[in-house]
Amino acid sequence: MSDENGLWLLLAGPAGATALYWALYRYYRNTDKSHAFERETTIEATPVTGTDTKVGTVKGTQATRIRGDNLRDYRARVRRVESADTGTAQDDRRDAHD
Amino acid sequence: MSDPKLPPPLPARPVDGPGSPRDVPPLPGTHPIDPATLPGAIRDELEAPDPVAIDTASAELRDGINRCPKCGSTDIRHKPGTDLLVCQYCRNEWHGERVEEVFGFGEGIDTLTGTVVASGARDIAADAAALMSFKCSGCGAEVTINTENAMTARCHWCRHVFGINEQVPNGAVPDAVLPFHIKKDDAVARIRQFVDKRRLFALKAFKDQFKPENVIGVYLPYMIVDARASAAVAGEGEIETRRYTRGTDNNKKTYYDADVYHVERQVDFTVDDLPLESSAERGNLDIQANTNNIINTILPFDTKNAVRWNASYLSGFSSEKRNRNIEHLRPRLEDQLLSIARAQVEGSARRYDRGVRWEHERLDVHGTRWVSMYLPVWLYSYHQPGKNGGLLHYIAVNGRTGETMGSVPVQQWKLLLAALTVGTILEGLAIAALVTMA
Ligand SMILES: [Zn+2]
Ligand SMILES: [Zn+2]
Repeated sequence: MSDENGLWLLLAGPAGATALYWALYRYYRNTDKSHAFERETTIEATPVTGTDTKVGTVKGTQATRIRGDNLRDYRARVRRVESADTGTAQDDRRDAHD
Repeated sequence: MSDPKLPPPLPARPVDGPGSPRDVPPLPGTHPIDPATLPGAIRDELEAPDPVAIDTASAELRDGINRCPKCGSTDIRHKPGTDLLVCQYCRNEWHGERVEEVFGFGEGIDTLTGTVVASGARDIAADAAALMSFKCSGCGAEVTINTENAMTARCHWCRHVFGINEQVPNGAVPDAVLPFHIKKDDAVARIRQFVDKRRLFALKAFKDQFKPENVIGVYLPYMIVDARASAAVAGEGEIETRRYTRGTDNNKKTYYDADVYHVERQVDFTVDDLPLESSAERGNLDIQANTNNIINTILPFDTKNAVRWNASYLSGFSSEKRNRNIEHLRPRLEDQLLSIARAQVEGSARRYDRGVRWEHERLDVHGTRWVSMYLPVWLYSYHQPGKNGGLLHYIAVNGRTGETMGSVPVQQWKLLLAALTVGTILEGLAIAALVTMA
């Protein structure tokens, strides 16, 4: 898609229509709602600890965010690493969705 | 004219993608599109006030079954709007014992070890019958209660009311019950208000048949879980170091330089009273197949106020039976604990202004405590006909807090028409702008 002649402006119609459709659809059907247990449950946590190690640099990328940014996608699961002391891990999750 | 399969549906979204219950839900009162930019009628609907409480008595409640501790009468009711039981004969009122205090459920989460199970949360006996029979002490007749959908029944002959108050090993009797506080008229008003805010594009048949008085009070089965866990995550984060543009006027592009870090975070935490649906049907949040996410959304409840199981609280309400055991629910618990951990560490990674990509996560569950509980929900349902048996839409009201959420079926062609109209206007503006530029 070229932004040369401002032709991208022609996307305004379809984009606007699609955005409005989904916004209203969700307003009626509320498919995006669920219990926000992350913020509505009583949680007591110790201060977060951790390490930050510089491992490299990126030069001249056009991407505005890191690839695969999931800092705020709390519910997007990533690879589960076996834990040392309890042995609970992936193979325990047989019917997570039933 | 209202052919349900007229307009082609828009692209389907994955079950666990954006816009599904796997997505972190939006903050209350937020809209993806600024209402101020929308046509008047749509804006008015979006900006109408949310449901408010109207407190009036319910006619739903019938006689209870316990004996009054003062006079021995069996005519006992739940006093609407409270957690009290009241004797209809001598007006004696008493409060159910709060499980929090009786069993110490609120204490010791920070030292939980292993899996602690309350008696009502024990595994369901697979061969236990759903039908239970009682001999009426009033007249001697046999009275049968189907524990699949009810915990109380009335003798046809002498109107004596029975309730299942003893814990039988078929999983029918939970540890605790949280009585309804929101009365029926209040729930009806909230449902009506919820739908009034969603009329423009609602399915015509839904509007025609809309009768919020048909709402029913249901006790739904949940496992209330306390947990103590540790979690760790690892991945990469980027911090912007430089931003610059290259190219000529018409072809400018922005470039970024960034430092890349390997990031690790750990957190220990406890969770108090996390509610998990313990019926397989309710726990299925597949938005393509059902609207159970609506019922899930009205969580949480003030479970600290739950009282020790007493079937008297259930008279006049229906109930659903638990059919999931702890081991079925453990994967869901771990999933939610991981999500909680990820939310907890977010704040510690703010310096990564280009974001963080978590790649590994680890969870150690040190201890859990499980209590089986009935929670009060007012449910209005509407069955939308369609392929694969159609779709059952719910509007649900939390029987304690009054939080209301619903799924209103949409008239697709109307919604598409509105979207296309707005799109056409935008397109006209875009073309006009291009013509001026040329
Ligand atoms: Zn009495
Ligand atoms: Zn009888």
